[in-house]
Amino acid sequence: MADKSNDPVALWQNMIGEMEKGFNAFANQAMASPQFSKVMNQVGGTTAGAQKQLADLMEKYLVSMNLPSRAQMVSMAERLASIEGQLNEIKALLQQVHGHTTAPNAAATPRPPRTKRPPSPPAGGGEQK
Amino acid sequence: MSADAGLNPLNLDLASVQQRIQTEVDRAIQRSIKGVEYISTSGPSLGSTPKDILSVRGTMNLYHYRPIADEIYRVPILIVMATTNRGYILDMVPGQSFIEFLLKRGYDVYMLDWTAPKPEEKRLRMEDYVLDFVPDCVRRVQQDSGETDVTVIGYCFGGVLSLLYGSIFANGPMKNLICFTTPIDFREMKLFQNFADRRYFDVDHLIDSVGNVPPEMILSSFEMLRPASRAASQVQLWDNIWNDEFVKSYRMFDRWATDTLPLAGEYFRTITKDLMWDNKLYNDTMTVGGRKADIADIRVPILHAVAEHDHIVPYDAAKPLIQKIGSADKEEVMLKGGHVSLVAGANAIRRLWPKLDSWLCERSI
Repeated sequence: MADKSNDPVALWQNMIGEMEKGFNAFANQAMASPQFSKVMNQVGGTTAGAQKQLADLMEKYLVSMNLPSRAQMVSMAERLASIEGQLNEIKALLQQVHGHTTAPNAAATPRPPRTKRPPSPPAGGGEQK
Repeated sequence: MSADAGLNPLNLDLASVQQRIQTEVDRAIQRSIKGVEYISTSGPSLGSTPKDILSVRGTMNLYHYRPIADEIYRVPILIVMATTNRGYILDMVPGQSFIEFLLKRGYDVYMLDWTAPKPEEKRLRMEDYVLDFVPDCVRRVQQDSGETDVTVIGYCFGGVLSLLYGSIFANGPMKNLICFTTPIDFREMKLFQNFADRRYFDVDHLIDSVGNVPPEMILSSFEMLRPASRAASQVQLWDNIWNDEFVKSYRMFDRWATDTLPLAGEYFRTITKDLMWDNKLYNDTMTVGGRKADIADIRVPILHAVAEHDHIVPYDAAKPLIQKIGSADKEEVMLKGGHVSLVAGANAIRRLWPKLDSWLCERSI
């Protein structure tokens, strides 16, 4: 096999690795400054504000078009999820009642016994490394 | 100078160079073929260990994995996943699944996993997680398993939730606690501290504007910790695209890493104010829903696994956990790897999983 110092592929991979480390270290140093935090949060705050304004505007637009808003759709989805949840609870209760009134073998898949003990340590002792 | 040296001034082994060129040509051809395959196919199916859903309440999901051993340990395990990420990092594919490993070793495994909180769940507070979701899941695990004792395993922020739960419910039923890369001293998360600098970061304005914190924002804040790594990993992918195993692993981890969850607004507000700004967990002043949460009150056996090269939760942020916890039976183990490779992938299979098994088996009877 070619020597690693002569292998262009190994050199390329090594260079990428070093560049990644170097850039990360440089960026981390820059991002640790209060100026970075100030600028980042100013931009973030403006974006969040713009998002809220856009959402409010869309809501008004949908009302004027006589269309359901996202909030109304979400609320309907919530009610459906709640109905599904209640159905599941009823189903579970029915299964429980059914389980009590029928033979034990009608119960769910049998579980293995909770009797397992830790394996005895190897003769030489010591822990896995 | 000999004739040979004249033809080969660098004194290279020409046969090996020829073989290397041949290999690279083969790989270049393979890259073109596999590159098309990569774009046109989806990645492996993840999180496929058979399980039953025990409970779903909004963002909260409780699963029970079907036991595969003939005999299991008495004490069941409840895994509490971090609220920013999906639980399938612990159940990648057969042979690389922590869940499958635990099942094969004879543990009874449950997982508290999260789905994206809906817009109306923006009001979920820290107390909903610590005083409702976690205790509710513990109760359901007790009910389902028929056992009083439960071992809790928390990953990253799931570890913080487990610690808060364990502090408040110090009298049980938690029997053992295992934390993976769990931060305690939030001052030491230097870059996150700077991103959330209280002089410039208006958390109230953010939450009041967006409701839940968008997943893109969470993902960017993680990626900003190593801004060059995404580009470098794509170059690495192209270099190794001929290697099916590498591509499979890349796709699994990449999919998980980018599958970030939004965070409930009020919950994020508390994380920022109480943990990032006031460092209350470290300063022993943390309260949840008016109840004191001091980790010195936790007395159960604890194992804390930390990663040597963790860029998300640096060691200094995780170190005080073992110093401050009240347990007499406590152990910290530092393993090679990063925040994710500690718990999943080849590194975890060799290091963390066997260590955890050897620690937990004798405490699960």
